[in-house]
Amino acid sequence: MSDLKLQHLEKIYDNKVQAVYDFDLDVKDGELIVLVGPSGCGKSTTLRMVAGLEDISKGKLIIDGKDVTQMPPKDRDIAMVFQNYALYGHMTIYENMAFSLMLRKENKNEIHQKVLAAAEILDLTAQLNKKPAQLSGGQRQRVAMGRAIVRKPKVFLFDEPLSNLDAKLRAATRREILLLHKRLNATMLYVTHDQTEALTLADRIVCMSMGHVQQIGTPLELYDTPANLFVASFIGLPPMNLFDVVIEKGFAVCEDFAVELTEQEQQVLAPYEGKTVTMGVRPENVVEGGYITVDVFSNENLGQNTLVNGSVGSHKITCKFRDWSTYKAGDQVQVSFNKKHFFDKATTNAIR
Amino acid sequence: MPLKNDAAIRKDRLRFTKNKLSANLILLSIAMNALYFVSIYSSDVGSYYYKLFIGASIVYDLVFMLAAFLSSEGIKNYKLGYACTSIVLGVLQVARIFYLPLKAHKAANPVADAKSAVVMSGGQFRYVAVCLIASAVLLCCAGVIGIMKTTTLNSYLAELENQGKEGTDDE
Repeated sequence: MSDLKLQHLEKIYDNKVQAVYDFDLDVKDGELIVLVGPSGCGKSTTLRMVAGLEDISKGKLIIDGKDVTQMPPKDRDIAMVFQNYALYGHMTIYENMAFSLMLRKENKNEIHQKVLAAAEILDLTAQLNKKPAQLSGGQRQRVAMGRAIVRKPKVFLFDEPLSNLDAKLRAATRREILLLHKRLNATMLYVTHDQTEALTLADRIVCMSMGHVQQIGTPLELYDTPANLFVASFIGLPPMNLFDVVIEKGFAVCEDFAVELTEQEQQVLAPYEGKTVTMGVRPENVVEGGYITVDVFSNENLGQNTLVNGSVGSHKITCKFRDWSTYKAGDQVQVSFNKKHFFDKATTNAIR
Repeated sequence: MPLKNDAAIRKDRLRFTKNKLSANLILLSIAMNALYFVSIYSSDVGSYYYKLFIGASIVYDLVFMLAAFLSSEGIKNYKLGYACTSIVLGVLQVARIFYLPLKAHKAANPVADAKSAVVMSGGQFRYVAVCLIASAVLLCCAGVIGIMKTTTLNSYLAELENQGKEGTDDE
């Protein structure tokens, strides 16, 4: 396995549309990086540039110390797993997994051993004589991964590999990918729009929007200390509650409520005294008990916790309470915020 | 269970790969038969033999090609019966040389102006004979390879099953 350097990559299409702006990232050997962002943010384009399926307009791509920017895909020694599996329907699972090695004219006995080893890792040994149509979606995705594993590439690329699976299978396959990563200790670049996948799989997450990298960091960094309003609202489910507040004498004040600031928050927000900033509160940081009154719209019990949707005056709010709650529409609940995030209104950057 | 030597790996590979060699040999033998088929009726055999006889030979050719194709599919999946069938078809291909082509080659041409000539010339006879022999050899080779691979695979599978049973007994 090896390290990967994406140095100021940019993608500008022939029609002058720019899909990726100044993408700069160093991926360490054995690291699993997840590119996350909404549709059209440029994450798949970046992955395809790494794979060689898209030309790189500007910047350099270095794999294992070697500049591969202009190198054709076949010479880059990378393997890509697609969302739609891309398996050959007329071939057995064994043949699908062996096919790329056969094209390279490798020794048949060695191919056999590699395929068996990969099948064992992915628990596919019993399926080797079957055709893809006879397998479930999760098994097919495992075959697609097996086909990548047998090649022992320098870098694995995953392009939304779990999007075609149902929720239960997605969770199971996600765990398998994680185990696979630990077992192979491979350098992996993984694209998804699903933040749960990003948070659970990644060593580091690259959050993208409109072709720009918004933040690079560990899952906890992105969740706990988002760099800007986009990251704050994109990471976390349900999304963060946002309020426009004025900083006034140790309070964050809006038309419907006022929240007292901690000493540390007062220090950080001192330059914003009298100004409007955006305050963000994660639903899980809204706790029962306090001086803010929420008019309940709906109560969604999820088992281990409850989502309560409501409003504070004209502001909509989502609260995530622990345990099972039984609020009804029209009820009122008193809440407080145990952690707050503040963002500059003009730049949308976090205030720290 | 990691496999150590090449022979063991070769044997194990049979579990997941098809017997394409035998299948392809049979397809080649069908192609050789097709060459025979399009050549044999270019001679004067149509006027010499009874129409029923010619019709039967055409029907046999079609049935042969169908049977050979089915054998190629069966042998590909290590079916012993189809391997034997292909050998039988090979033997029949050799027998056919002495039936229609040889008789036509020896028979005098019934056309009044060509009494000294034979129905099938020597050159054409050699050509169709070579086609049939090649077809027969290919079929027999496919059958023999098929039998060897199938028995090897069957004994290997039995061996694995025994090992599995022993493993279960140990537990």
